[in-house]
Formats: sequence, structure tokens, C-alpha cells
Amino acid sequence: MNHDPLHWGRPSEREYGSYDYEIANASNVAPEATKNSQNEFPTMHTQQPMITGASVVAVKFNDGVVMATDKLGSYGSLLRLDNLERMVQVGDSTVVGVSGDISDFQHLERLLDGLVVEDNYDMEQSNLKASHVHEYLRRVFYNRRSKMNPLWNACVVAGFDEDGEILLKYVNLLGVSYSSPSIATGFGAYMGVPLLRQRVDSEEDVKNLNKEDAIKLIKDCMKVLFYRDARSWDKYDLCVITKSDKKIEFQKGLQLEGLKWKFAKDISGYGLPQK
Amino acid sequence: MIVFDINNYDNDVTTFSPTGRIFQVEYALEAIKQGSAAVGLVSKTHVVLVALKRNAEELGSYQKKVIKIDEHMGVALAGLAPDARVLSNFLRQQAMTSKMVFNRPLNMAKAVYSIADKAQENTQSAGGRPYGVGLLVAGVDETGPHLYEFQPSGSVLEYFGAAIGARSQAARTFLEDKFKEFPDASRDKLIEYGLTALRDTLAQDKELNLHNTTVAVVGKDEPFTVYDDEDVEKYLGMLDSLTNKRHRDEGEGEGEGEGESEGEGGEGAEATGAAETTDAAETTDAAETTETTQVTTDTMDTD
Amino acid sequence: MTSIGTGYDLANSIFSPDGRNFQVEYASKAVENSGTSVGICCKDGVVLATEKVVNSKLLVPGKNKRIQSIDRHIGVVYSGLIPDGRHFVNRGREEARSFRSLYKEPIGLKGLIDRLGYYVQAYTCYNSVRPFGINAIVGGVDSEGSHLYMVEPSGTYWGYYGTATGKGRQTARAELEKLDLPNISAKDAVKEAARIIYMAHEDNKDKDFELEVSWVSQSETKGVHQLVPKELFDEAVKYAEEEQDSDDDDDDDEGSENSDQDEEME
Repeated sequence: MNHDPLHWGRPSEREYGSYDYEIANASNVAPEATKNSQNEFPTMHTQQPMITGASVVAVKFNDGVVMATDKLGSYGSLLRLDNLERMVQVGDSTVVGVSGDISDFQHLERLLDGLVVEDNYDMEQSNLKASHVHEYLRRVFYNRRSKMNPLWNACVVAGFDEDGEILLKYVNLLGVSYSSPSIATGFGAYMGVPLLRQRVDSEEDVKNLNKEDAIKLIKDCMKVLFYRDARSWDKYDLCVITKSDKKIEFQKGLQLEGLKWKFAKDISGYGLPQK
Repeated sequence: MIVFDINNYDNDVTTFSPTGRIFQVEYALEAIKQGSAAVGLVSKTHVVLVALKRNAEELGSYQKKVIKIDEHMGVALAGLAPDARVLSNFLRQQAMTSKMVFNRPLNMAKAVYSIADKAQENTQSAGGRPYGVGLLVAGVDETGPHLYEFQPSGSVLEYFGAAIGARSQAARTFLEDKFKEFPDASRDKLIEYGLTALRDTLAQDKELNLHNTTVAVVGKDEPFTVYDDEDVEKYLGMLDSLTNKRHRDEGEGEGEGEGESEGEGGEGAEATGAAETTDAAETTDAAETTETTQVTTDTMDTD
Repeated sequence: MTSIGTGYDLANSIFSPDGRNFQVEYASKAVENSGTSVGICCKDGVVLATEKVVNSKLLVPGKNKRIQSIDRHIGVVYSGLIPDGRHFVNRGREEARSFRSLYKEPIGLKGLIDRLGYYVQAYTCYNSVRPFGINAIVGGVDSEGSHLYMVEPSGTYWGYYGTATGKGRQTARAELEKLDLPNISAKDAVKEAARIIYMAHEDNKDKDFELEVSWVSQSETKGVHQLVPKELFDEAVKYAEEEQDSDDDDDDDEGSENSDQDEEME
């Protein structure tokens, strides 16, 4: 790597030759299409998300899952959209919370809607469970990243699996996926997860968390994220999935309560001044 | 160019007859009857397929009648076996795709309709022929066990019990008589019903044996398994006789009365006799087993 | 039928000297002897119903569904060659999907039936294919209200307040005309549809049948095409059976006269 402050982070010239400034002008049009225009440069796809949604936080409790997403869509550091809903219900057993690029999220929404339409074609019992939706998303993400053209998102899938059990799983733009009783994407992975794990570190702990406490825990995470993540917001949606009554309920447009900003005036640099 | 009678509505699949029939498709349905019989039946927990295998010549092998699709699904065929291979290969692909994309076993209705729609294409455009095979598709999915009959016309229907192939009407008659018993029947009882139905399709000089009989079972907690040769022996042993009932029923009048009185009169004696036969069966080979069982049945054959 | 033996009816896409396309007419014959299907436009939706002829008692009751969805808001029922009907529905689904992916909204009924009409018509134009052997009744709700259409093997389609096809169509149509369409409620339309199917079954009495009814209504199903719920279905069947019993009592003779008339109309 080149450590010259003016070229920091680029491959070192000695090993890789001089930097090709054409990279910045690479096109996303397939090479065949541009062959005659002398542009033999490799195709370039999405390199960064545009309008983004921040964290998704979710935790299992003794009778289900609670998930939350805030309503902000940021354009870089600009507060661009203020009424986003980033959790979508897919059929009657699944909720998907999505962070990252909003247009890619909307594309996913359409793909998932297509699944629901197809599932309803025969008008019989639904066969689209959370586990199926998760596997499908994993395939979509992995396919796209393998084409070097990723959908720039990280998703949390929650709901009921084929046995009616609660499922909570993560999948992101690389096709990486895992399951855990407490999951968060984006900044939430750094600042939400430690809070969640204080209460729910393993499947065992799930039994000791009731619905009310789970909602409170998620709200606390949202609050901490709002304090610390400059791309988050204090208006958010909450979703509660309960196993005992097989219900998926949304509370939309909630407002963070009990925020205290007194400490803020003392913050400078990267944190509170060291005594 | 046209070799056939010019005034025929049955030369190709793209011609309707004046009554709205498509003869080429109907002829394809006839091809199923050229194949040996296959029978399928469903209970609340299991689906059973049984089929009669043929061998073209004494030294040749027997034609495969049952094809496994996935852990939860399989088909029995009657008609052109190569066509069945094409269709079941397609089903296998569908099953793998379902596993790959959704991590769920292929839904039964989806499976059968996927081949039905494929078959329909061949009945509406020239340049091909309709498939010449009928399938019994057995499987278990999230909604329970199912049995479907597929036809080259692109028709697919779900049955409690179904039979296809040569002389299958005889099996159907049996199924129609007994189908109310199927839902609550045990796995083995269902197989017995299936084999009994299959036996009814036999020609007079034929009998079920471990070489020509295939049994396949799939259940909620039992992957699709095909039983051939030695493995069908125990199921054949469940039958009272291995030859067609019609054959045995010749001279029905006398035999029946005798059997009844004998059975009732000598119940105590029979009990010891039965014990003897089972003991013998364990030590002797298959052919003998079938013979001994047949003896016991002749006296029991009153219903 | 004068066409037989002339050779003009042996291939699709051929005109006879008097300008008829016999293969299309023969395709309609496949429809005329099959189970009856009806479609009814009601106040804020559409009801579809069909008479499923049961050819074997080994068939599982309540399975082998014949009414299908093309999209959330659109349902189809057809009489004729059932596999052809599935082909037709699959095409409809493709059209609805492609419309969705292009315009990001559900396809309108008018747009869909127009595309399907083109598709069916194309199957009358080439000798490498045969026409569809079905009459398909397509109904649903969109942003402009509820719509009901029927497509014929020629590719022709008409919009209807109420329509019927299949063996008992004459009886069914006569009954539909007596209803105050499209001003009846969705629930009433379900009951009437059941009654009409039961009545039309009189023309096919020697065979058993199973009734299937679906609906799509703004008020009852939020614009989603579904099979009617069991309670309503049972209620409708009860109504149909009662009505039939009372009919049997008073107008036995009329029935036979009617069917004579029907023959003439053919």
C-alpha cells in the first residue's frame, strides 16, 4: 500500500504500476456494448450506497422477536428522507428489516412481493415461511455479489419457520448470514449488540426476557444509536412478533422518549474529556 | 406428402375433430395401457406405490417402474419409460431448485403441475409428440401425503388411490371398493391393499413374485424408499395369494361354502396349523413361503 | 356440419371458401360439453364459480382446484380443456409479472385481457399450433373498479356483468339475466353463483360434481382474489340446494321446454 499522504490507501506503484485514473470513469455498461467506443476498461458496478438507511436492531424474547428501524434516509450526511419504512412484512410469517441502500431495498421489496404473489397463486395454505425468505435473500445477495454487482444492504429476517418456531437471522450484501438471539446491522452491530447481549447472550437467555423488557431493550438500543450514530434518527418503527398468538404487529412512527442532551456539551473530539 | 387418409382428424396434435377432441392426445393416453400396471394409494401418514415389472426376455433385466425424485417424492410409471425418465429428470431439477433457492422440499402440487404444464405444450404445437407415459406421483410435503396421477394430456388429479397401465381397471375396482379404509390404514396395511389391487391386474398365468414386484413407500418420517427383489418378500408374504382372484374364483359356488364351514369348524386345529406354517416359512425359501400362505388363504377366502 | 369432408377443417389457420375458420369452431366444441363456469359482476367486485365434474370417487374432494389467480387481484375460471386453461393462466401470470416489473404497479384488467386476447388470437393464425380449447372468464378489481371478461378460442373477448360457459351455459345465462347486475352485494353474488351452478348441473345430471366459488371484492376481500370462506360456501350450497328443491317441485315441465329452445339456439 502507498503511504504517501496524497496517495494514501492506493496500491503501491512499485508493485502494481501507476494508478489508472480511468478507474474513476469506469462505466457500468457491459464491455461488449462499448467495444467500438475504444473503452476497453472493465465494467464497474455499484461502489457505494446512495441514500441509506441506518441500523436494524432485533432481539428474541421468550415468546417472539422485537425488531426496530428508524425512519431516516440519509444522502451522505444529508437528512434526505424522513418517513421511510424499512421493515416489510412478507406473507403472513415473515418480517424483513433492511439497512443500507434504499433503492436496492426497494428492489428487494419487489422481489419479495413477487414471492408472495406466487405463493398465493393456488389460493391454498401459504408455504412461504421466514426460513424460506431468508434462504432466498441469501441466494439473491450471493448471486449479485458474485457478479460483482451487489445489492448494498444488510437484512434481518424474523418470523416463523416451517415448524411455527421463531426464527431470527441475518444476511448481508456479501451473502454472509448467521443466526443469533440478538442481531443488529450497521452501527447497531457495534453499539446495539453489546447492550442486547447484556440481556440475551445465548438462546438460554431468551427464556428470561419477556415481551415488555424486550421492547424496552430495543428502545434503549435505538436511543443509544441516536445519541451516537449521526446517520440515525429519533423517529422509528417497531415490530413485535409473538409466537403464542402467531401475530405480527407493527407500531409505526414512534418517537424516542427521555432523551437527555446535557452530557453533549462536554463532548469534544472522540468522547468525554479524560479526567 | 400426406401418407394418411386425407380426411383424418388424427394425424397431428394441432387438429381438433369436429366434436372438439384431439385424437393424437387420446392415442397418447392409450400408450399408457401398453405398459404394465402400477398402483398408488394414500393414508394419513404414508403413500405407497406398487408396480408390476416386465422383462423383455428371460435373460433380460426387469424394467424399472419406480423412480425416486427426492427424499420426499417418487413416481411410478406406465407407458414409454424413456419419456418417464425425461419427466422425472425435470422433476429432480425442480426439487433441487427448491432446495437451493428456498431450502424447502418441493411442494407436491407445484411438482406435478410443473410436468403437467410441460406436457400441455406438447399437445398444442406441432413439431413434437405428446408424452407417452402416465405417472403416479407420490410424496409428502408440508400439507401431508399426496398421490397424483399425471397424464400426457397435461391433466393432473389428486386421488386417494389410483391405478394405471395394463388391466388397471381391475385394480381400480378394488380401490373403489376399499378406499374408505385407506386414510387410517397402517403403513403395512396400505402396502397390502396396494399389492392386492396390483394382483387383480394379473393375467391368468401370472403371479406376483419377488422379481416382478416393486413396492415403494414414502411417509411423514420415512424417506421415499423403493423395495425390489428380496426386499419385497416380506410384503408379498402379507398376501393371502399371489395369483389373480378371478382365477381362483372359478367354480366359486362350491369352494366358498366349503371354505366357510371348514374354517369355522376347525378353528382350534387351524391355530396349531398356522403356527406350523409360519415356523416352516421362516426356514424355507421364498417360493415355498408363498405356497404355504396360499394354502391357508384358500380356506379363508370367503369375503 | 357441412365442413366435414371438404378438407378445409383439417388444419388451423385455414379459411374455408365461405370465410370460416373451422378449427376455431371445433375448439369451441371442446368447451360446450365441459362443466359449467359462471362469472358475476357485483357491487364492488367479481364472483367466479365452476361446476367440477367428478369422474371418479377416488378423487380427493376439495382438491384439484380449478379456479386460479393471475395476480393478487385477478381470478380466472375456464371451461373446456383444463390443461389449456392452465397454459392460458400461466401466460396471464407472465403478463401480470412483466407489467409489475416494468411499471411497479398491478396490471389493470383491461390491459391484461387485451394482452391475453392477442395471445389466444395468435394460436388461430398458424398451422403449427392449435387454438385454445377453452372459454376463460377473467375477473377482478383494479383502480378503475371491478371488471369481468370472457375470452373465446378465437381471441375475441367481451366485457360482461354476468356470463356463463360450458354445458349448462344457456340455463345459467337465462338465470343471470334475471339478476340485478351489477348491483347485488358480493355475498349475494356468491349465493346466486352457487344456485346457478346447481341449476346448470341439471343439464349434466348423470355425473357427480363439486362446486368451487371464488371472489374478489373491495369490501369483502380488500381487493384480493380468494376462494370464498367455508362458512359462506356452506351457506351458498344450502341456499342452492333449497332453491333447487323448490324448483323441482313447481316447474318440472318448463325445464324440458327450455332445453328444447336451447337446442334451437345453438
